[in-house]
Amino acid sequence: MVEHAWRHRHLLDTEGLSWPDIELVMRTAGEMAAIVAGEAEAEPVLRGVNVTNLFYEASTRTRVSFEVAATRLGADVVNVTASGSSVTKGESLLDTMRTLEATGARILVMRHASSGAPHLVARHFAGSVVNAGDGWHAHPTQALLDLFTMQAHLPGGSLKDRKVVILGDILHSRVARSNLWVLSAAGADVWICGPSTLLRGFDAWGRAGIGGRSFTVTSDVSAALRGADVVMALRIQKERMAGGLLPSLGEYASRFGLTRERLGLAAPNAIVMHPGPMNEGVEIAADVANGPQSVITEQVVNGVPVRMALLKLINDVRTAA
Amino acid sequence: MSTARALIDLEISRAWLVDPYARREGPGEIVVRDGVLESVTWLEGREADGIDDRGVVVAPGFIDLHAHFREPGNRAAETIASGLAAAAHGGFTSVCLMPNTSPAMDQPWLLAGLRAAVEASGSPLEVLAYGTATAGRAGEQLAGLGAMADAGVVGFSDDGAPIASATIFRSALAYAGMLGLPVVDHPEEGSLTDGAEANDGLVATVLGLRGWPSVAEAIAVGRDLALLADVVREVPTARLHLTHLSTPESLDLVRRAKAAGLPVTCDITPHHLALTDEWLAGSRRLAWDALDDRGERRDPWLDGVLEAPPYETSLRVNPPLRSPADAAACLAALLDGTADAIATDHAPHTEVDKDVEFGLAANGISGIETALGLVLEAVDAGRLPLAIAVAALTAGPARVLGSRADGRPRGLVEGECANLVVVDRSARWLVTAEGLASNGKNSPLLGRELPGSVLATVADGRLAYEAP
Repeated sequence: MVEHAWRHRHLLDTEGLSWPDIELVMRTAGEMAAIVAGEAEAEPVLRGVNVTNLFYEASTRTRVSFEVAATRLGADVVNVTASGSSVTKGESLLDTMRTLEATGARILVMRHASSGAPHLVARHFAGSVVNAGDGWHAHPTQALLDLFTMQAHLPGGSLKDRKVVILGDILHSRVARSNLWVLSAAGADVWICGPSTLLRGFDAWGRAGIGGRSFTVTSDVSAALRGADVVMALRIQKERMAGGLLPSLGEYASRFGLTRERLGLAAPNAIVMHPGPMNEGVEIAADVANGPQSVITEQVVNGVPVRMALLKLINDVRTAA
Repeated sequence: MSTARALIDLEISRAWLVDPYARREGPGEIVVRDGVLESVTWLEGREADGIDDRGVVVAPGFIDLHAHFREPGNRAAETIASGLAAAAHGGFTSVCLMPNTSPAMDQPWLLAGLRAAVEASGSPLEVLAYGTATAGRAGEQLAGLGAMADAGVVGFSDDGAPIASATIFRSALAYAGMLGLPVVDHPEEGSLTDGAEANDGLVATVLGLRGWPSVAEAIAVGRDLALLADVVREVPTARLHLTHLSTPESLDLVRRAKAAGLPVTCDITPHHLALTDEWLAGSRRLAWDALDDRGERRDPWLDGVLEAPPYETSLRVNPPLRSPADAAACLAALLDGTADAIATDHAPHTEVDKDVEFGLAANGISGIETALGLVLEAVDAGRLPLAIAVAALTAGPARVLGSRADGRPRGLVEGECANLVVVDRSARWLVTAEGLASNGKNSPLLGRELPGSVLATVADGRLAYEAP
């Protein structure tokens, strides 16, 4: 078998990834997991490479995960916490990028509140850009670690025709969007579910589908959960009430919260996921989040090898260029 | 006028003449002497052999109902001089400038500054100006409408900052109507578009951009028309012009209002006619190529047409580029006369304002030089007759302006001073930043070839632009 060649210098979204790309990430992540577990020797493929984490939005889990992943591969890690107010101070995103480039950044891991911000940077940055979340658009490393986690739990490691339900605030979710591309490529039977106000626009996308594969969009939580193999709950933010999209968090919890009773509709071995951070008691009940079907901690664990794999693959292309 | 250019002599034989004012097109010849259109000869029979509308076309100079030059306030984006050079390059001999400069054109003395800048530019183009409808475009109290009317404005508009209060808007219609001038509205229900980045639809959903829904335009148009119907009962001279309409719903409201006899006109832009929201995702196909035979939108992802990087900020414009079906509705409105004119909404910006995150980028396309090319794309595709396209750039906007702008002769009229454009339809030209005369290089068409090279633009009997 000829090894599939990775050709992406940047990781900006999941829509640009082919299924062989994704499989390569999964294989490489598997190798990295063995390293993390101490079963294999780590090759310091990022030795001397400056990996700069540029986060315009607060994040603990994703930033730390990238930091650990880069460090394990021998990189020099720089963390930059830029507040959204740098715009008002007059320094543009590209100015900031140029400063970081001048101070040695070769791989820029960035999170930004504006959809498409990493695409702008990628067009001007000499090194590689890894999107750690942009606006409502994409969170590619999360979707890939989600797939890695799902594959570990599904018989045969295949998502083909498996029912995967993403439940919650779909409209504002970059995690949902990135997962839609990955799960469609994996051949899953994808359902997205939430209140009508938080599904706006998705009906047309579901019908159009991805790569010719449609997905189901519904506010009927029972229909969505029935027989599901994977249930992924998404965070509900308080701001959604101020925006007139939800009456209250309590009402959301009672109608859409992932409770033990609702989870009973899913397949007996269904796994429960959440990209975090969680509002226990709102989108997910505490006993479900911490219950036997939950793989939420595993998602966090898997973040490191998956990000190691992506950093390695991207760096190989960057240095070959 | 030391800066004024010389009156020209020009002879064009064996061309295709299009004169929408006379509702006539065909083979012909023109002779300009000392800036005066001395003769217009329509060729017939054997003399006309071999002349068709695919070669050199001569038409009356174009009139742009909607352009933004940034002087005073932001000369880096556009000066009066650079804007006029750009307009001439685009084939325009008359431009109507929107008043959202800084300071906004809400005082007659600001118009004097504008006239001085036009004079200093040496451009022979006709510059018409709108005044603001409300003081400082704040939507709270009427600007000095009467004084600005006396100073020669051709209408009033708070373009880009639509008047939210129905009461103030009603007053503006009534007062402007008393002065015999139209109110020009950019229809947008702001409570639906707060923070909007792109047309509310499939592309925005996929790209995670905040949606600007079509209904926000329809609601505003509906309000405006209801208020107009109310006002004209007491002020029969009241007139409303709706600019850059972009949706089937709002165009249909205008269609019905016109049928009911309301004094309303509207325009569409070249970019809403030819481009669509799928360009934001990286597609570069024209609007009519994005629909299937049944009129349904094709899937640009499935079609594999996403060739350019996504989130190109030169595509950020307000109203946003819409769906292929919406673009088709703009075309249909041109064909059935619902849309009176094509207006460019030329909106030059600096790199500082455009080389930023998509959601932070300034709205607008530098479009006065590419307007003809985009319109001719529709003509070349067999979607739009040349005569209608030219009419929408000439007689249509002239009708919208009415008698207030009768300063220049309209049409190919013998014995009058020449205002015309000569286009070679057989020549395609490459849009480049250096090639645009506008200071605003914010065009999504950079690097693309467009049909219809302007050979010469003659305004007031003088050469305003000549192809190198």
